[in-house]
Amino acid sequence: MIAALMTKKEWITNNVRRKNLGAHVLGVTAFAGGHIAVHWLMPSGQVVQDNWDMHGLEFPSLTVELPEMAWDEREIHDVFGYRPQGHPDLRALVRNPRWPDEFYPMAGLNAPQKPPWREVAPNNPEQTVEGEGVTIMKVGPTHAGIIESGHFVFSIIGENILHLDLHLFQNHRGVEGQLQGRLIGSVAPLISRICGADTVSHQTNLAMAVEEMAGYQVPDEIKWQRILLLESERILSHLNDLAQIPAGVGFSVANQKALTMKERWQRGLTVIFGHRLLFDTVHPGKSLAMDTAALGALITQLQREWRPWRSLVQGHHGFQDRMKGVGMVRQSDALRFGGQGVVARASGLTFDARQLMPLYHGWHVDYASETSGDVSGRFKVRLDEVEASWRLMQGVLQRYQIHSALPFWEPPTDLIGQAATFSESPHGLNAHIVAVDRGKVIRYHVRSGTFRNWPLLSKAVAGNAVGDFPLINKSFELCYSCLDR
Amino acid sequence: MGKSIQVLQLRHVDAGSCNGCEQELTALGNRFYDMQHSGIDVVASPRHADGLVVTGPVTDTMKRPLMQDWDAVPEPKWLIALGDCAAGCGVFQGAYACYSGVASVRPPDLVIMGCPPLPQDILRQITVWRKTLD
Repeated sequence: MIAALMTKKEWITNNVRRKNLGAHVLGVTAFAGGHIAVHWLMPSGQVVQDNWDMHGLEFPSLTVELPEMAWDEREIHDVFGYRPQGHPDLRALVRNPRWPDEFYPMAGLNAPQKPPWREVAPNNPEQTVEGEGVTIMKVGPTHAGIIESGHFVFSIIGENILHLDLHLFQNHRGVEGQLQGRLIGSVAPLISRICGADTVSHQTNLAMAVEEMAGYQVPDEIKWQRILLLESERILSHLNDLAQIPAGVGFSVANQKALTMKERWQRGLTVIFGHRLLFDTVHPGKSLAMDTAALGALITQLQREWRPWRSLVQGHHGFQDRMKGVGMVRQSDALRFGGQGVVARASGLTFDARQLMPLYHGWHVDYASETSGDVSGRFKVRLDEVEASWRLMQGVLQRYQIHSALPFWEPPTDLIGQAATFSESPHGLNAHIVAVDRGKVIRYHVRSGTFRNWPLLSKAVAGNAVGDFPLINKSFELCYSCLDR
Repeated sequence: MGKSIQVLQLRHVDAGSCNGCEQELTALGNRFYDMQHSGIDVVASPRHADGLVVTGPVTDTMKRPLMQDWDAVPEPKWLIALGDCAAGCGVFQGAYACYSGVASVRPPDLVIMGCPPLPQDILRQITVWRKTLD
């Protein structure tokens, strides 16, 4: 890295200036050997990088000025052992008491070995409210339904939530460590399974990173297919979430009908793309054989089923009332904590990474945005986005035609370079920071949309009735897997 | 087995899954598969369950909660490993915070492979296996 030595003050002002210019942080990435990089997505679409080279094991924390960095820096502290100087809350985020003291899995260049875990419970200290009449209610990590694992510690008074302390990373597998030293050409199945709900977005980020490092421009047909896959995934995920929100208030008819649409959509996608969840569908420089007529017919079929369902949920006053004013996210909080995706767009922010993705250049997308910031806002944004995605797909399908033969391209096996790629997953801005040397991964950092939204969930539930937690939680519908990795 | 089971009630535990197996398990409740109709249900408490259905490779952090849930299920009880990760052949094998599937805690009574397994396969395999319990 050729960078003039920066002072701590310059490091902070530089990064704060980018935020004030309207940039979005893609990732705060630590590298073995004492290097920190902050990648910013500027409003122009350009990705810029600020670098800090450490002397010793400390680096200046940005969290006081940019609270959205709080979890990034805590994670670095946990897995690298680098200390963010001046961080106001350095409780363990990823680690727990079972981790041996000297075990910092990402501090070395190679894939980390399994440590001798300590024979204690994995529970970290809890942050609770103390006082007369305050009750502590703990939920998880295993749950009473079919849900991913996470542990929630509520401080409640009467019916009302005073504070929610999140204990996530129960599903931490060590994926970024596992990727270390692997051939970049062999990581696709793993990247495809970082998250069962945002898989296409993760696969696309990997493909774009490989193509960028190799300097390969993909043909239009491949770009169009990626748009179709990304939008198919958005619809799949939104249909799921739109089914879960009515379930959160016992509106079974709306729940079952939406699950039915999801199932039909999945069955159709299986015929067209070969997998019910779209795993293993995006590959660097390649496209899949695809029946475009079948995809067009599938969209029309779903739209027919969708219209009466939308009338049902929008015309149901009881359901609408249950969503209003519940689980509010203030616009200022969404901005300050770097909220992403549906959560941010329901709180008056208008950012959607597709606006800046070169992949979508030249395509018209109707971007959704609401200002209410409550469950009903997040529900409405998803409704509008499903319809907008179908329209976009129909536009792409009209132009889609495969010329006789696409050029054959294989990524070079001795790839060298670094890339920061991003896409708009169903859960928001999803970024990958990838560094490769002679074909081998030296660092692979994944920062998914949910990472930015989990702290906001904690803010949104405070002041609400504890009985509304499932509803608020469903309206965020954050995945645990691509947070925990 | 000393307990006649007309409806197999299972408690789900995610031990490091990507959420793919969860989605397909949830799909079993939709009107196309309707698992309750086949005498299979996912229940809220291990105390009400006849067994656990476990997804994921078993992360170190989830190992204890998984064993606690298992201990809370009354005898006789059964353990089902759902999906390649739980079966010990998933993509997360070898990651530093993972074990090698459910078998690293206790040998499962039924293993359903797939990444994720298709809903109809989950349903069929549980149905066929149940007949061996009588």
